[in-house]
Amino acid sequence: MDLKERVCGELQKEVPKGASFTKFNTQHQQKWEDPSSTSDYSTRIEPPFQAFNQTSQTQSLLLCNNQIKVPMQDGSVNDLLQASKIQDWDPSAMLNNLSFLGQKIHQLQDLVYLIIGRKGQVLGRPDELLVQQQQLVTADLTSIIVQLISTAGGLLPSVKQTLSAATTSLGQCGEFGGVVFPSSAQGLNDGVQPQNAGGSKVSEPPNSVDITSNNGNEQSNHIIEEHELKDEEDAEEGENLLPGTYEILQLEKEEILAPHTHFCTICGKGFKRDANLRMHMRGHGDEYKTPGALAKPTKESSSEPTIIKRYSCPYAGCKRNKDHKKFQPLKTILCVKNHYKRTHCDKSYICSRCNTKKFSVIADLKTHEKHCGKDKWLCSCGTTFSRKDKLFGHITLFQGHTPAIPSDEIKAAPAGTSDGATNKVGSVNFNLSYVSSESEVQSSSMDIKGGIDDAVGYFSPLSFDTCNFGGFHEFPRPPFDDSESSFAFLLSRSCNYSQKSGEE
Amino acid sequence: MLSFQSSKNVLSLTEDLLVRIYELLAAESDRKSFRLVCREFRRIDTLTRRHLRVIRIEFLPILLRKYPRLQSLDLSACPRIDDGVVSLLLTRVGPGSNSPILGHWAWGLKSLVLSRATGLRFSGLEMLARACPCLESVDVSYCCGFGDREAAALSSAVGLRELNMDKCLQLTDVGLAKIAVGCSKLEKLSLKWCMEMTDLGIDLLCKKCVDLKYLDVSYLKVTNESLHSIASLLKLEVLGLMACPLIDDVGLQFIERGCPSLKVIDVSRCEGVSSSGLIFVVRGHRNLRELNAGYCLSELSTALLHQMKNLNHLEVIRIDGARISETSFQVISANCKSLVEIGLSKCLGVTNMGIMRLVSACINLRVLNLTCCHSITDAAISAIAYSCRSLVCLKVESCNMITEKGLCQLGSFCLLLEEIDLTDCCGVNDKGLEYLSRCSELSCLKLGLCTNISNKGLSYICFNCLKIHELDLYRCTGIGDDGLEALSNGCKKLRKLNLSYCNEVSDRGLGYIGRLEELSDLEMRALHKITGVGLEAVAVGCKRLADLDMKHCEKVGDSGFWALAYYSKNLRQINLSYCGISDMALCMVMGNLSRLQEAKLVHLSNCTVEGVELALRACCVRIKKVKLFAPLRFMLSSEILEILHARGCIIRWD
Repeated sequence: MDLKERVCGELQKEVPKGASFTKFNTQHQQKWEDPSSTSDYSTRIEPPFQAFNQTSQTQSLLLCNNQIKVPMQDGSVNDLLQASKIQDWDPSAMLNNLSFLGQKIHQLQDLVYLIIGRKGQVLGRPDELLVQQQQLVTADLTSIIVQLISTAGGLLPSVKQTLSAATTSLGQCGEFGGVVFPSSAQGLNDGVQPQNAGGSKVSEPPNSVDITSNNGNEQSNHIIEEHELKDEEDAEEGENLLPGTYEILQLEKEEILAPHTHFCTICGKGFKRDANLRMHMRGHGDEYKTPGALAKPTKESSSEPTIIKRYSCPYAGCKRNKDHKKFQPLKTILCVKNHYKRTHCDKSYICSRCNTKKFSVIADLKTHEKHCGKDKWLCSCGTTFSRKDKLFGHITLFQGHTPAIPSDEIKAAPAGTSDGATNKVGSVNFNLSYVSSESEVQSSSMDIKGGIDDAVGYFSPLSFDTCNFGGFHEFPRPPFDDSESSFAFLLSRSCNYSQKSGEE
Repeated sequence: MLSFQSSKNVLSLTEDLLVRIYELLAAESDRKSFRLVCREFRRIDTLTRRHLRVIRIEFLPILLRKYPRLQSLDLSACPRIDDGVVSLLLTRVGPGSNSPILGHWAWGLKSLVLSRATGLRFSGLEMLARACPCLESVDVSYCCGFGDREAAALSSAVGLRELNMDKCLQLTDVGLAKIAVGCSKLEKLSLKWCMEMTDLGIDLLCKKCVDLKYLDVSYLKVTNESLHSIASLLKLEVLGLMACPLIDDVGLQFIERGCPSLKVIDVSRCEGVSSSGLIFVVRGHRNLRELNAGYCLSELSTALLHQMKNLNHLEVIRIDGARISETSFQVISANCKSLVEIGLSKCLGVTNMGIMRLVSACINLRVLNLTCCHSITDAAISAIAYSCRSLVCLKVESCNMITEKGLCQLGSFCLLLEEIDLTDCCGVNDKGLEYLSRCSELSCLKLGLCTNISNKGLSYICFNCLKIHELDLYRCTGIGDDGLEALSNGCKKLRKLNLSYCNEVSDRGLGYIGRLEELSDLEMRALHKITGVGLEAVAVGCKRLADLDMKHCEKVGDSGFWALAYYSKNLRQINLSYCGISDMALCMVMGNLSRLQEAKLVHLSNCTVEGVELALRACCVRIKKVKLFAPLRFMLSSEILEILHARGCIIRWD
């Protein structure tokens, strides 16, 4: 997968925390089915609008803009530039910024209230929670500071004249955050840090800032195509959550393998996706057709402290099982499902084309089938490649390897036009020059172990007996005893010849 | 008695001395005379003969048995060879008729020419490659059916150093990869017109065959990427990039930094190359010997000229079609003193003064091409003749202002002159030819469209220039039978003759032509006076005749063609368009001439569809190219067309 694709995938996965302001969108995000997310086109690179925990994402987007999209999509970047310029001088944008900051401060206030409130209630395990919430507060505070700085910076025209200037300012923001909170768990993750080095490390996959296990975002994840989620599972490998900073859930095997997760409360029909269930519900009455009922269930108030949920595989001994020494949690329910099916279930889906590849997840089969048979570039070592240049790179690398010419091609070609016709020629040749009873030997051009008699046929000059035409006897006859018969044969085979044409 | 004594002396020479004598015989005809002397001489011939060019495939088994020490076998003249033949040769032809050692003849074989052997496929090639362990050089050019599988078969000849795959149209990168991996010792490779080839194949080749000294990728659709790969070849000396449309100056920049041993580069007809690209090449390679930049420069720019000052070893430069100024000649002559050949064909701005400046210092010039430099006069020719005493080849086609004065100078000073092209030089007359005849080394003389010459002028040439083997008298209407008489008396070595539109030539003239035993190419279009008698004389006399063009010889009757069919067994190409040949004669010509490969049979007014069909059937196994009257496409049986197609025969419809 090339960089652009990967970054897009990344962006799709990363569901922002502050839902109201930080809906992320890129023009590549067509699979995003959330209707509300299309609204933020013009403002998406406006730094003041980003919550701090989005900084890294913003940065990566901008860097991507610099590195990838600029050469390819000049137009869109120009648009972005213009949009940002216009809003540089827009007082209402400024007002927006400020009101956002106000709201943010209010949220923070709420959080602190909550902490104070809970302190009294939850006495059981106060330390852990308290530490977490403390970190959250500090993170939010940092975010507010950064927002303030960038908002102030937005007033200076020189800072935001160019896109690159904006990028550097963001870079500085990131750096700032990184310095202050090198290891904070929520919102700020390690992904911020490597990116601070002026964008030079963009090529390495940024560690995802994934907080998707919030209730409200779950179904959006379901809607995303599975193969992207595969990548998510891979990307998660590098995730470095401190143990104990997240909640571990473990589903049962039956639960994992259940085909449906959403059930109609009226008729009991099961659905894989919540959105499909909502569509289905419309049939049960007008009350389900209201925009409210059809809308995606909104997230609970973000003032609720979100605790990261991670999943454990029920299979004992699995690295994804929480009892494993080097336990690596699974990020989403879907990850659990795919992981469990791929690793611990039978591979029951067999590719109908090659009849060799087996899969346990049907999406994997579909992905494979898209490419199955396209690996026509075969090396003598047996490795196949979908692209010729890959094969040639392989051959360059390994001594003695050569491109293999597929055997079926060898079989097909002689059976096809060229050799079939050659056979015909061979037989004609024989009958013309030297009538051989063993013309069958000729029929296969590869098996040439015919008698020595054939040699005469091969080497004899094919010639007509001039005397056959009659009337011309000045030149001696070529020494062919059977020339009469061969000539007669020729006539009989040629198109609609009457014998007289030879005799005239 | 005396004669017996002397012959006894020759025969008493020891074997090794005879071998030495034999080895000094350069010409094939001399060797033929040698081996016809006696049995002992013949034995010497069979023992020492290393090279064999087979004209008739039917003798191949006997010849292979007879010459056990062959190192080089040329089968290009018998393209009928196919897998079956190869199999039989390898299994049946040993040193003795029932020897257990099979295919012995192939063991020592180093060079194999299979050019145009379209019938040879991968199984045959594989057998050959396995049977010839010492194989170093293979030529499979113009084998249109040669594809990847054939390349794979050939790649088992691991010792291969030279390979010519020109116009192997089916060959792709995969086949080239097979060759590159299998034959890593490759030093010389030609890939002209392998149109499927791409950068990937070239790149792999350059990585695997690092010993390459000669690489020709002319006419390929390769890009600068390939040049990038080629630049890494440290030993490359010769690089052919002729008419590569996708190569430009950027690619030549890679060449500037790479290919440290480069000596010869050909970028002629590359659309994308300009003088700035050549500047890169010249700047990077001070030791360049040959620069061919014909038809890619609009002008010899001063910047390029400035760089060319450093090319002190330059021997050959061709800048055909470019505009060149007088000062450029000054620079070239001042710096490129070792120049041996200069090509200025169709250059603009070539003047007498420019040529004079050029030859003032470049006195070693041996080849000078001034085709279509219309402003050249006798003054320039005189200067050339005076300065370049070692001139061998001069091409002044269409230089109308050259007269007998110039030729007088040439005849006085350039006594080594071997080739001169005076086509369309109206100023050439009998007097001029008399002067020119002093160049007794002359072997190739082109006088096409010189309407002012007559039999008298030709007889001067014939009397003095006995080495002539190519003579072009196209539309020399002053030439008649008497001239040909002189020709047949003097130029016994004539191999190629063009008499087209010499209307005066009659049967008597062709009778003289029939005395030229070496003649292999004869073009005699539109000779309205000749009949079957004349053609018969030619057919009977010119045993070696291989290429005959007699388009529009309408009076030639069947007797001539019958003679042709019977006697001209070596005929390879024939043009019978607009001739009065009948069905029967056509069938006989096409069927009896067992070496015939190409025939042009358009507008045969006396032939029927059936006749053509029958003729094609008679020759379908060996014919490679045939030109037919377009409406016949739908009148001939589909069977014969299929057969022709399957045998790799190309049909042109006219």
